[in-house]
Amino acid sequence: MDINLMIELTPLLVKAAWVTIDISARALFFGFFIASALVTLRTSRTPPVRWLARAYISVVRGTPYFVQLLLVFYGGPAIGLRLDPFTCGVVVGAFNIGAYMSEAIRGAIESVDSGQNEASRSLGFGRFATLQHIVLPQASGLMIRSIGVLAIILVKNSSLVSIISVVELTYQAQRLIGSTYKPLEVFTLSALMYIVIIYAVMGIVEFLYRRATRYTFL
Amino acid sequence: MTQGTETPMVELKGVKKRFGDLEVLKGIDLKVDRGKIISIIGPSGSGKSTLLRSINNLEVIDEGCILLDGTQVNRPDLKGLAFERHINHIRQNMGMVFQHFNLFPHLSTLENVTLAPRKLKGMAAKDARELGMELLERVGLADKASTYPSSLSGGQKQRVAIARALAMQPKVMLFDEATSALDPELVEEVNRVMKSLAEEHMTMLIVTHEMAFARDVSDWAMFMDGGVVIEENTPDHLFSHPDQERTRNFLRKHLGRQEQTQEYL
Amino acid sequence: MEFDFSPVITYFPTLLKGVGATLLIGLVVAIMSIIGGQVVAVITLYTRKAVNWPLRFFIWLFMTTPLLLQLYFLYFGMGQWILIPAIVVGVLGLGFHYMAYNADIFIATIKSVSSGQYEASRSLGFGHLATIFHIILPQAFYRALPQLGNNMIIMVKDISVLSAIGIAELVYMSQYAISVTFRPFEFYITIAVIYYLINIAMESGQSWVERRAAQRR
Repeated sequence: MDINLMIELTPLLVKAAWVTIDISARALFFGFFIASALVTLRTSRTPPVRWLARAYISVVRGTPYFVQLLLVFYGGPAIGLRLDPFTCGVVVGAFNIGAYMSEAIRGAIESVDSGQNEASRSLGFGRFATLQHIVLPQASGLMIRSIGVLAIILVKNSSLVSIISVVELTYQAQRLIGSTYKPLEVFTLSALMYIVIIYAVMGIVEFLYRRATRYTFL
Repeated sequence: MTQGTETPMVELKGVKKRFGDLEVLKGIDLKVDRGKIISIIGPSGSGKSTLLRSINNLEVIDEGCILLDGTQVNRPDLKGLAFERHINHIRQNMGMVFQHFNLFPHLSTLENVTLAPRKLKGMAAKDARELGMELLERVGLADKASTYPSSLSGGQKQRVAIARALAMQPKVMLFDEATSALDPELVEEVNRVMKSLAEEHMTMLIVTHEMAFARDVSDWAMFMDGGVVIEENTPDHLFSHPDQERTRNFLRKHLGRQEQTQEYL
Repeated sequence: MEFDFSPVITYFPTLLKGVGATLLIGLVVAIMSIIGGQVVAVITLYTRKAVNWPLRFFIWLFMTTPLLLQLYFLYFGMGQWILIPAIVVGVLGLGFHYMAYNADIFIATIKSVSSGQYEASRSLGFGHLATIFHIILPQAFYRALPQLGNNMIIMVKDISVLSAIGIAELVYMSQYAISVTFRPFEFYITIAVIYYLINIAMESGQSWVERRAAQRR
């Protein structure tokens, strides 16, 4: 392995890694709100609203993220939706991960024992207050872990925006393999950066998980 | 049950409840006067738990009427948010104790007790703390105020659950098989707390398997089977000379259990 | 905005070829990754460190980096030393990627089969290897089925990524049609619908398999 070359390439790849982090973090942030909205819509009192939310989740989960990305980026202009590549990556990433995350949030909420709900309601707490004070604090541990898994998927999925020429880690890696003819060095470096990002996510998730479930250790 | 000119604390008129095709409550009438204690016994599946849960509207009844201190609990005329507001208010006046405790595991013992008064009555943190400590003292668990439910025994959990329900100063306490999930040696500590409530003339409805305890503590006893009240009377009469064959059979089957608990009386 | 789906109809035979290629790749990768995953799991669990440590490393590497990066490395990178056709790179790349994910599942389910099963089998006179193959692995396989199904459903969606290295599957075929007709929206919508149908078929297949396997768990 050519260590000097690797040192030389590091700044370029670090810069590209920031784009990967940036795009994933934004998609995760907006995805959380989309997911929360979907969870709310799924419990709506109006049946068509529930069906619509379920259909959305099913379609997004049932089609490839890559096709969604191509559809919005290349097909979007046909319906007046013109997005620059980076924004497109964030938007599609958020709407995609939002569907998965809504299922994760719902699963976490449903994992809380129904007796908790009953006990809270019997004290006189309303639906929302029960969710806020009783259910969510207990669901948050599982929720954080599931969202962490999705965040890692999001980071790996973000490599696909290289196809619409966002200069992120995979795009840069492919370009450098072509220009340096040193695939092993480039792959090692870029893989290392993905691994660092993913382990950072795992570390944050574990920290938040411990905070959220502190009561079980006390 | 007893006669009185004042409004009964709890009153049920012709309460019916179906689960699908199965009718679990087939028209129940019941009156509980202020400060009285009623025990409801019966085999599992008799509808006794459903009856108790209906009073708290955890089960929504199909027919009939439930009144708490003259106010109607079930309100088929109210929909959506209006009913929510109504039932939340009603429930604040009822304490419910569950078979499986249902303590909030993410809150300390004290926080379990103070959460409702703080959030629902807007009680100041300091006052809530005082009230919470007082109630924990009363159930003998003041020293456990800052521990979390996971480190408590079943009996301790149930005593905290009782304190939690009492914190809202309810007009009536509903006990849904409060000691059924407990190891035999832990039953007594919970029974003792319930008895102390009885001595303070708390109105109570107790669904239980503890025949001896029911006989000892209550003013009136009811035997339910198949969704109907088979027989009701003073505990002495019901437990010693039941009028109905079904009651006799049931009591005979439960004799073993009865003798077990007799020891503490 | 006006939609014109007539080019989609014109090029539907082309798309169908793409569907065929996608399904065929899916089948090959499924077989390869399930069998390979089991082999990798067994080797990882039942051999000495010197043998299983590199395997664990590759499972970990495949699971912590994106598929596309792996494909680029295999295709553009390895291409400098040996010339491999894209389709081989694609199938092997996808196959290894999911082999790692499946091995990860098998490792967990093999471990979950109780040691009592091992002891019972040994006490009957089965040898160490016979016990693994006749007693432990079948049980582990049935336990792994739900997650294997999920992985394969995700895998089929990932076949679309192979278009990036020029493999003529569904997305690549549609990109060709788009380059001629300039109707990206109509074609990508069609692709999404086709993929959704494949997905529904796979999900019902999965629940059918799981129902049948449930009796064996």
